[in-house]
Amino acid sequence: MSDTNTATKSPAPSRAIAFSVRDAGTLIGLLIIFGIFAVLAPDFLTSRNLINILQQSSINACLALGMTLVIISGGIDLSVGPTAAVSAVITATLLVSGVPVPIALVGGLVIGALCGLVNGLLIAYAGLQPFIVTLGTLSTYRAVALIYTGGNPVLGVPQSFRALFNGSVAGIPNSVVMVAIVAVLAWVLLRKTPLGEYLMAVGGNEEAAYVAGVPIALTKIAAYVISGVLAALASMILIGRLGAAEPILGNLWELDAIAASAIGGASLMGGKGSVAGTLLGAIILGSMRNGLTLMNVQAFYQLLATGLIILVAMMIDRVTRGRG
Amino acid sequence: MNVSRLSFEGITKEFPGVKALSSVSFEIAPGEIHALLGENGAGKSTLLKILSGVYRPTAGDVRVDGVAQAFRNPDDARRAGIAMIHQELQQVPNLTVAQNMFLGNSITTLGGLVVKRREQERRAAEVLSMIDPGIDPSQPISSLRVAQRQVVEIARALLNKARIVAMDEPTSSLTPAEFDRLADIIRGLSASGVAVIYVSHKLDEVFSVCQRASVMRDGQLVGIADLASTRPDQVVAMMVGRELANEQHQSFRTEEVTMSLSGVSTQRIRNVSFDLHRGEVLGIAGLVGAGRSEVLRAIGGVDRITSGTVTLRGKPLSISRPRDAINAGIGFLPEERKREGIIPGRSVTSNVALASLPAFSRGGIIQHSRVRKTAETLLQRVNLRPFLLDRPIRLFSGGNQQKAIIARWLAAGSKFLLFDEPTRGIDIGAKSEIYRLIEQLAKEGHSVIVVSSELPEIIRLSDRVLIMRDGAVAAELARHELNEETIVAHAVGTASGKSGREEQFNV
Repeated sequence: MSDTNTATKSPAPSRAIAFSVRDAGTLIGLLIIFGIFAVLAPDFLTSRNLINILQQSSINACLALGMTLVIISGGIDLSVGPTAAVSAVITATLLVSGVPVPIALVGGLVIGALCGLVNGLLIAYAGLQPFIVTLGTLSTYRAVALIYTGGNPVLGVPQSFRALFNGSVAGIPNSVVMVAIVAVLAWVLLRKTPLGEYLMAVGGNEEAAYVAGVPIALTKIAAYVISGVLAALASMILIGRLGAAEPILGNLWELDAIAASAIGGASLMGGKGSVAGTLLGAIILGSMRNGLTLMNVQAFYQLLATGLIILVAMMIDRVTRGRG
Repeated sequence: MNVSRLSFEGITKEFPGVKALSSVSFEIAPGEIHALLGENGAGKSTLLKILSGVYRPTAGDVRVDGVAQAFRNPDDARRAGIAMIHQELQQVPNLTVAQNMFLGNSITTLGGLVVKRREQERRAAEVLSMIDPGIDPSQPISSLRVAQRQVVEIARALLNKARIVAMDEPTSSLTPAEFDRLADIIRGLSASGVAVIYVSHKLDEVFSVCQRASVMRDGQLVGIADLASTRPDQVVAMMVGRELANEQHQSFRTEEVTMSLSGVSTQRIRNVSFDLHRGEVLGIAGLVGAGRSEVLRAIGGVDRITSGTVTLRGKPLSISRPRDAINAGIGFLPEERKREGIIPGRSVTSNVALASLPAFSRGGIIQHSRVRKTAETLLQRVNLRPFLLDRPIRLFSGGNQQKAIIARWLAAGSKFLLFDEPTRGIDIGAKSEIYRLIEQLAKEGHSVIVVSSELPEIIRLSDRVLIMRDGAVAAELARHELNEETIVAHAVGTASGKSGREEQFNV
């Protein structure tokens, strides 16, 4: 009822600044983690290891960028892991049967897009809850991958394909370069295109967005399709690295992706999220794992640390942002 | 008994950078019904929050029956006999009436493990029987109408033996008949010695229930009025700090017909036909539920049209979703801005541009500098100071949000503006500004439809008024025929010209 009457009374940071304050917070968190590991693990702060961290984070960052768009739209995509698996086994099969690399690559991305499209259609037109739809497709897509391969890995991914993902440009691994390009595109999408505005609007207040003429269904579908394509891309980075596609790959990827988005400031209520924050979130998770491994900490404790980082990040978020 | 039931003594509240209240003092006697008035942002809510223990004052005392109180939290305030009844009722819909009344205070047995539901229901029934015996304590809260849920809240206050009951906009969603009931209950509270603080924007209600009023402006108490010897316009002048010019209706209606409805029906309206002219402000009046808003929602593409046609400048228009209407130059401004109008977390600029982003884009990229310039120009036109436009729109007042939505449709090039309750939730000072804007739009050649429950508003704005009853147009009144009695008579179906029941109008 009586909020401050006019905007003039209490000066507050502008939206653009407020956003970067949140991102700056994530960055500070990352720097603190870096600082701690720099002291505890002597090899941590070498340029080689830092590049390592980026490479290890690239798959999750790729997924998390798509996840962030979905979360901003007010949804969630639990099916990214199995989507990646379906796309991986089909891409690998195409490659093994001699299909040229570019075609196999596009084919794999199209498979990812189709998986996302199914999610989007069920959510936008059948009016089902995103959580439930993608929980259902989580199992369905995994089953597809398992049935398609009979449960066996697809081996023998050709060197030409692997080189594409394992090479490097000026010392930076190709996978990192690719994800960086994806991030720039995602940033442009979110900040500079009508679709980005629509994602924010649909997640912020769907009814108002509808009355204002925003194409709700298309916006949601676009988010899931992008998420599917990025899941497919992430799977290719992995099979490029491994040289084989397992139908069980991507297990629990969705949780890491959601964690990166959330640490980066995406609100699961929708309408809020940032590309820079998501990248930082993914790197935070990646450097935790990397640093703890360097310190020879048992995997159990790595899991514990990851869990705590997420909870601490959310608590800091809560306290600094106040209520709501 | 000379001791006041409640007294505020020099209450000051500072937030970082803002002095929300400065040295507010007034007293309320036992059994007094005291209005707390002021525009949005005047400090009423802050004061109520101090009374209910949500905030602690920076300086000053709250005294209950002469005893200074230091509330650390809302629970302390409740124990001191203070009950708050919020505008948006804080109840758990799935629980029963009795469970809600005893929420946080359950009657238990076996050391707190088991709730004695029977006992709770019996005691709830006891209290309810005094004010509204029609409410069954065992039914779920969600099955009650808002008015009844409010009664439950009052019963809860009685149950807690409240000595002071503060009501924040209690009637914002009540019909006048329900208000009358509520007024009786409030008078009953007062007769039993409870002091009532009544916050409302509706002056007619304040004058009919309250004895005195404290008027606040900019965090200060500007005066205490004895309502028996004060006129409403004097109170308004105190609230806004200036005399509202007694504005006259201005007409810019031309003979050119720009929109025609012929036999338009939806699930909620039947066979609605009318012509709308260039420069005209067409009012739509009627009881709540008569289908007024639904006419706008049909034209705006929000509700599906089942039969009939909408014709724009001679061309039939097919509308099946809001985008179709928007492309045809129709802008719908919904009653519930928070729910259907604004994207709360986005900036004012984003909210203004939302409906016309493709037009602001080149090669798929939004040209933000152009968006900004257009938004600034438009917001200047609608009198919204063009700075801080990057701040989320939820931080702005209702009036400013409404202006931003007007700017949204101007940006989209709308020629038809459909206002559903244009000043709902907007304070008195900003109201007349919205009125002038609507006139300005008409003057510029827009065609405007205004749906309103407030008859003075309809009469102030409209060149012509349609009156809806049971989903159909019951009457059409020309400007010179407009008066409150006639409109009400048509709305309730006693169109002999005599004033009917004034139910559901805020006259």
